[in-house]
Amino acid sequence: MSSKHSAALDRRQLLQTAGGGFGALALRWLLERDGLLAAESSPPGTISSPLAPRAPHFAPRAKSVIFLFMYGGPSQVDLWDPKPELTRFDGKAIPVFKAEDAFNSSTKNVALRTPFRFRKHGQAGIDVAETFPELAKCVDDLCVIRSVHCESNNHAPALFQMNSGFLQAGRPCLGSWATYGLGSESDNLPAFVVLLDHQGAPINGAMNWSNGFMPAAYQGVTFRSSGEPIAYLKPPKNVSSSQQQARLKLLQQWNTDYALRHPTESSLAARVASYELAYRMQTDAAECVNLDNEPEWIRERYGLNNKVSQFFGRNVLMARRLIERGVRFVQVYSGGNEGPRAWDAHDDIKANHELHCAETDRPIAALLADLKERGMLDETLVIWGGEFGRSPVAQAGKGRDHHPHGFTMWMAGGGIKGGQVYGATDDFGCHAVEKRVSVPDLHATVLHLLGFDHTRLTYRHSGRDYRLTDVAGQVIHDWIA
Amino acid sequence: MSTARICLLLIVSCLPLNLAVGADPAADMFFEQKIRPVLVEHCYSCHSTEAAAKKQLKSGLLVDSREGLRRGGDSGPAVVPGDLDASLLIAALKHDSFKMPPSGKLPASVIADFEHWIKLGAHDPRETPAGAKPVHGPSIDIDRARREHWAFQPLSSSPPPEVKNRAWVLNDIDRYILAAMEAQGLTPAASADPFVLTRRAHFDLIGLPPSLAEIERVGQTSALDDAAYAALLDRLLASPHYGERWGRHWLDLARYADSSGFHSDLDRPNAWRYRDYVIESFNQDKPYPQFIAEQLAGDELDKVNDQTRIATGFGCNGPSNDDNAGTGKAKLKYRLDLLDDVVSTTSTVFLGLTIGCARCHDHKIDPLTSVDYYSLLAIFDNTERVGVSLTKAVKKSTEPPAAIQQLIEKSSQVRPTRVLRRGNIDFPGDEVGPAVPTVLVSRPVTFPTPSADASTTGRRRQFAEWLGSPDNALVYRVLANRVWQHHFGRGLVATPSNFGLGGAKPTHPELLDYLAGQIIAHGGRIKPLHKLIMTSSTYRQKAESRKLKAETDTQLSAFSSQHSTDPDNLLLTRFTPRRLEAEVLRDAVLSASGNLNLRSGGPGIKPRIRNDLITTSQRNKWPELKQEGPNEWRRSVYIYVKRQLLMPLMELFDAPTTTDSCPERMSSVVPTQALVLMNDEFIDDQARYLARRLLADSRGDVRRAVERALQLTWGKRPSPERIEQAVAFVNERKQAYLVDKISPDDARHRAVTDLAHVLFNSSEFVYVE
Repeated sequence: MSSKHSAALDRRQLLQTAGGGFGALALRWLLERDGLLAAESSPPGTISSPLAPRAPHFAPRAKSVIFLFMYGGPSQVDLWDPKPELTRFDGKAIPVFKAEDAFNSSTKNVALRTPFRFRKHGQAGIDVAETFPELAKCVDDLCVIRSVHCESNNHAPALFQMNSGFLQAGRPCLGSWATYGLGSESDNLPAFVVLLDHQGAPINGAMNWSNGFMPAAYQGVTFRSSGEPIAYLKPPKNVSSSQQQARLKLLQQWNTDYALRHPTESSLAARVASYELAYRMQTDAAECVNLDNEPEWIRERYGLNNKVSQFFGRNVLMARRLIERGVRFVQVYSGGNEGPRAWDAHDDIKANHELHCAETDRPIAALLADLKERGMLDETLVIWGGEFGRSPVAQAGKGRDHHPHGFTMWMAGGGIKGGQVYGATDDFGCHAVEKRVSVPDLHATVLHLLGFDHTRLTYRHSGRDYRLTDVAGQVIHDWIA
Repeated sequence: MSTARICLLLIVSCLPLNLAVGADPAADMFFEQKIRPVLVEHCYSCHSTEAAAKKQLKSGLLVDSREGLRRGGDSGPAVVPGDLDASLLIAALKHDSFKMPPSGKLPASVIADFEHWIKLGAHDPRETPAGAKPVHGPSIDIDRARREHWAFQPLSSSPPPEVKNRAWVLNDIDRYILAAMEAQGLTPAASADPFVLTRRAHFDLIGLPPSLAEIERVGQTSALDDAAYAALLDRLLASPHYGERWGRHWLDLARYADSSGFHSDLDRPNAWRYRDYVIESFNQDKPYPQFIAEQLAGDELDKVNDQTRIATGFGCNGPSNDDNAGTGKAKLKYRLDLLDDVVSTTSTVFLGLTIGCARCHDHKIDPLTSVDYYSLLAIFDNTERVGVSLTKAVKKSTEPPAAIQQLIEKSSQVRPTRVLRRGNIDFPGDEVGPAVPTVLVSRPVTFPTPSADASTTGRRRQFAEWLGSPDNALVYRVLANRVWQHHFGRGLVATPSNFGLGGAKPTHPELLDYLAGQIIAHGGRIKPLHKLIMTSSTYRQKAESRKLKAETDTQLSAFSSQHSTDPDNLLLTRFTPRRLEAEVLRDAVLSASGNLNLRSGGPGIKPRIRNDLITTSQRNKWPELKQEGPNEWRRSVYIYVKRQLLMPLMELFDAPTTTDSCPERMSSVVPTQALVLMNDEFIDDQARYLARRLLADSRGDVRRAVERALQLTWGKRPSPERIEQAVAFVNERKQAYLVDKISPDDARHRAVTDLAHVLFNSSEFVYVE
């Protein structure tokens, strides 16, 4: 971040010398974005950019967020929360499971032992399943939260809740709130980026990263990890780059003139700036996703040379590159579409989780280590989790059902006190019983780490102030270093 | 516990935050989140004012107030702040003394919450002394709101105000507007020039730019005289494209889409019939009472036909999860969620009231109670969403027999409606009958008791008749405001679907009443109102502009001082330029290129979406299309609205997301819009078609082609300076192409394509003044 100021000045000089092509208004916009004009009163013709960086309520611990979303619902009892009692009861009914805890009617109260072995890792001695051999080495950075619970046992509403705090569509998601609160540190990239699994989008599609009733600037923009990262980033094949430049030069001249003739309409000046940004995005976003620039050892480290881990590895590496370039919030999905292509292990917990762990283990471990070595982990909050967990009892013999009553998520970096386990489920991993954590608690704490009092970060819509956490949510200070 | 948590979410979902947070927000929060819900759920049935009223109070203990808890029951104080041992509540929860709740011990985490709470002083923000009034009773005086809130008053009939500058006044609208300006010492802008006014009127009424012939006609007369202008408005109002434009505004409100949204985003193969019904209704200028009645009670009218049945699709347009509706209790709850969508949408669209907030508790801002909510729900509670086959008259022979989703009643057997405490089906309260919100009527509206042989309850019809009655000032104020909003970019009430106490106040209340009165005077038709508005001086003002070219900060500041009195132009001293909406932008591109296919109606079209964007969608995928043709080049109102994959061009330019009723579109400016206009193949293709059209029309004469290009896209006679710049640009581009050794004709075509592309991206094209 230290280079930010000088970069701004460079750009200012560049624009001052650039002449008529890109107008004075675009310049003004950029200066305001860098806070260099913020103190001045805004004469007409200047723009209040929705993504201009803003100061939070108090000093933030994290400046950016990478949310590793294990779509479909990863199992707590097979990955992070070992339960010897569950193994002991294998094949028998467990006392804590009630009929209404099931999602599918085929799920009966028959305990299913985990097929995986657990070992304690790190100085903290935290249990991790054998399916995460690399990630296990990072446990001293993780705050493993074993007592999360949410309000729906079905993907669509649970995804909405984990993303937006609300069980139905229509509210802005966490990434929207973060970018609404803090703005963007990047001129040339969207503030909030979503990276999808190679299997496709999760259920609900783009409604999962919706800006809800906020302006479109706070919507998650999906990046692809190969080829053209953003839709419409490149001109059609038959349009050359010199042709595009010629078009833009005349366009910016005319649009700047028009904006100057209507100085009370700030959106006209914003249009001029938006073309400027779009033009630079073409190069910068393409550069950002071009992983060829990464050294071979980094590619190896992130698992790009392995068929199973390369997809998620590319996305996670790209997440690091995006954060490095000032993007505020990156959400990386593991699992796409439906059923076994996600962590939704209804049929076979072993096969499903072996696959998805193998896809993600090495990349995530690499991300944490890489962020740390670059001195970025302190300012980057990494969140791992799905929309819910999985039932400790069996579905279809060796699968597990949806389970919102108690599951595990973890956080690292960005002010998190690593090497700890927080909260607990009962002896069978069924219900969160100690230090229960609701989704609003989780959201409140994330906003806190970003420097916001979640009760004061509001957005006015249709005559009412809305909050990510509505009237719920408590910051959990035990997680914070 | 999960049920309790869900309740909590429902409780909190509508609370206005500023009211919910007291002196100690964190402590309030803890109480509201961890303590109160448990008390309500597990203790109130025996230990509340309500239980006392039913003579079910046990051991004299009331837990529904701070005082009640502290005073305790027969055995002593239930809560002693800071003292766990003295607090009998803790012993009871632990089943150490009494065993409470008797049905079973609460989870250890809940008991721990109570211990934590008492240790920290048992902060209890509830001010109400026990027995004074019910915990969830109305906190706002309904009678007072009925008497005092502006929106609930009868229309005022005061004469329009006197003004100084009488010469400016063309009709009564101008008196209201000018009087407010003069009070602030402001003066109106001059009239817009005929080209600008013609283009504005076209986009406003039919959502299409004026044709070249129209522009040339304007060019021949030095000024657009009043008669010619009035004739133009009449032509536009009579155009079948009027309904496509104004119907689209209604479809925003009706959260219209062609797919279900959730889960697999199921296709709704006949939803378009509702869309066509709306367009046709606007074209007919259907009286508003009839339009309301058909949509809410199309199956209960004297004359029920396919069109009125299709109209009930209003109630089925919301997102639904039919492919994953759940079973048992979940399914019952799902039904209530769908009904909530109907009640909330109906209330915001027609009444401008956010009654959905009262599903779980009395509305915290507006004088609307839970009883009001469930009484309104009772009006719809007998309905079902059914797919009914249409009669042959509507079906075309080539179409497969398909059912259309309708919201209708199949019997007059009334399903009892109960108030659900906290919106929770586990806590049914008193039974309620159908009623309109208490605050809106001084005497209750009577709903008929259906005769034994009636096919429906008749409740929705009665409700629709009350809504559309000329006495219902609120309904006509809401409608008049929406009409104004789409002419000026902003309503006189800035929150067009919230006329409640939390909504904005009207900037010109008497004018709003006057406009509402005009609609009523015309029997609920709005076309006369369009004409009235558009023939006013207010509407005909020009947008602010300057001729100055050189820019300095000083000049900018000097200019700004003129506007410091009214920076947001609330007093309408000028016309505020507006960005074209998504559909209008696409239609304007097609119109300029000469490709717009004006065929109306029918199943939604699926224009080309790039393959790589389609792959992110789930099932029911959008078809892959290599080349677009006339079938795709139809007006954007006919694009299939797929909830999980909106057309990128539409979505990026703020088309509604369709999850809720959308009263007002955003007008955002983001770089991704620039990217799509710069790089989408659609724009590039159409630029090429436009170039071909221009060169053919001008027989290869570049200067003439350039002039026509500017006219077609900007709708005006271009300045000589712009023509020179454009000609220079085209010649420069042509030279660049000639280097590539292509034919001069090809080079010229490419060069003009570049110009056309610039024009499609230009602000003068994308904005309407």
